[in-house]
Amino acid sequence: MRGETLKGHLDLLLLAVLAGGPAHGYAIITALKDRSSGVFDLPEGTIYPALHRLERAGLLDSHWALAAGRSRRIYELSPAGREALRTQRDDWQRFARAIHAVVQGSA
Amino acid sequence: MNETARRDDPIERYLDQLAHELRLGPERTRRVLREAEDHLRESVAAAEAAGATPDEAERQAIDRFGSPRTVARRFAAEQASVLPPSVLLNLVLAVVLLGGIGAVAVGISGGVAQVMGSVFGERFVAGDTNGVTYTPARCRDFMEYEPQAPDCEAAATAHHFGEVVGYRIALGVLGICALAVYALVRRRYPYLAGVRVLPDGFVPTVGAALFGAAAALLLFQSLGQLAVGDASGVGAYLSGGIVSAVAFCGCAWPLLRMLRDSDLPRPVRA
Repeated sequence: MRGETLKGHLDLLLLAVLAGGPAHGYAIITALKDRSSGVFDLPEGTIYPALHRLERAGLLDSHWALAAGRSRRIYELSPAGREALRTQRDDWQRFARAIHAVVQGSA
Repeated sequence: MNETARRDDPIERYLDQLAHELRLGPERTRRVLREAEDHLRESVAAAEAAGATPDEAERQAIDRFGSPRTVARRFAAEQASVLPPSVLLNLVLAVVLLGGIGAVAVGISGGVAQVMGSVFGERFVAGDTNGVTYTPARCRDFMEYEPQAPDCEAAATAHHFGEVVGYRIALGVLGICALAVYALVRRRYPYLAGVRVLPDGFVPTVGAALFGAAAALLLFQSLGQLAVGDASGVGAYLSGGIVSAVAFCGCAWPLLRMLRDSDLPRPVRA
């Protein structure tokens, strides 16, 4: 799926992936691909700007950690991020139900 | 890694290109490059584990990461969105909260002025200081506004009293509306409370500074005027000064508690 199609939903997707626990960029992208069965296959490098923005917005915390001899940045949901995820998930479910109802009705 | 080996390593070359394309500050650039390298190396290891040759694995990892220009453009686009909406909304809310509290304080001072007018007379709140006179035309205006007044001076006082009380209370009502909007937005977006934008204690600090300065100025003006034996119009300043002093205490108290509970270094007695 093209990045443009995902625009507007990427924040929710990243927050949802991180709801499973702290992770570094590579693990987040891998989870995003796996959980969408490969549908969300963005240029991997474009995820990092979104992660940095979410961190600046206070929705994520991050820190450096040493793993396999390399330092890597670990991201996790902040309390504000958990609350934002709850709100955005509710909004998305309402929106998806409404779209589904309309599309099914036209079939 | 020596310079020749570095030039031959596609990932190193990619990172050099990315560093060239990024338009971020040095600290953020370093962080992005460290994250990108960790990502690419892990991606290569995963591809090799899946059976790819080292060359194929490196090529796949770089292809999947996106061109340096694409990644840099995405960072630039994120940078261009000056402030994330949640940060911007938090800043606006802090201004609404401070403005709302200030406006409500002004409104309460209008109520206090009304009480002072009832107890000490309207002249105490809105009377002109000694020596103020009005042109006949202006007197006609005042008499038109306040037809029940016996003379020009009484009409001017009644008119100004109405302004002092009415405008302040109107501003207080606006302040209540601002605080209601603040509470509604906080309730609708509860996660905003956890977004750290302003330092802890920002609102009580600014509130205490502003109300403290207002209280000092207004009370000084009131007492100065009373000291020279001219009580006309003192209530306008005194009502504001009293309410500002109370608001100062309301802001200073949580600030003091915050400072008391903080981890600031304490003076040590020798």
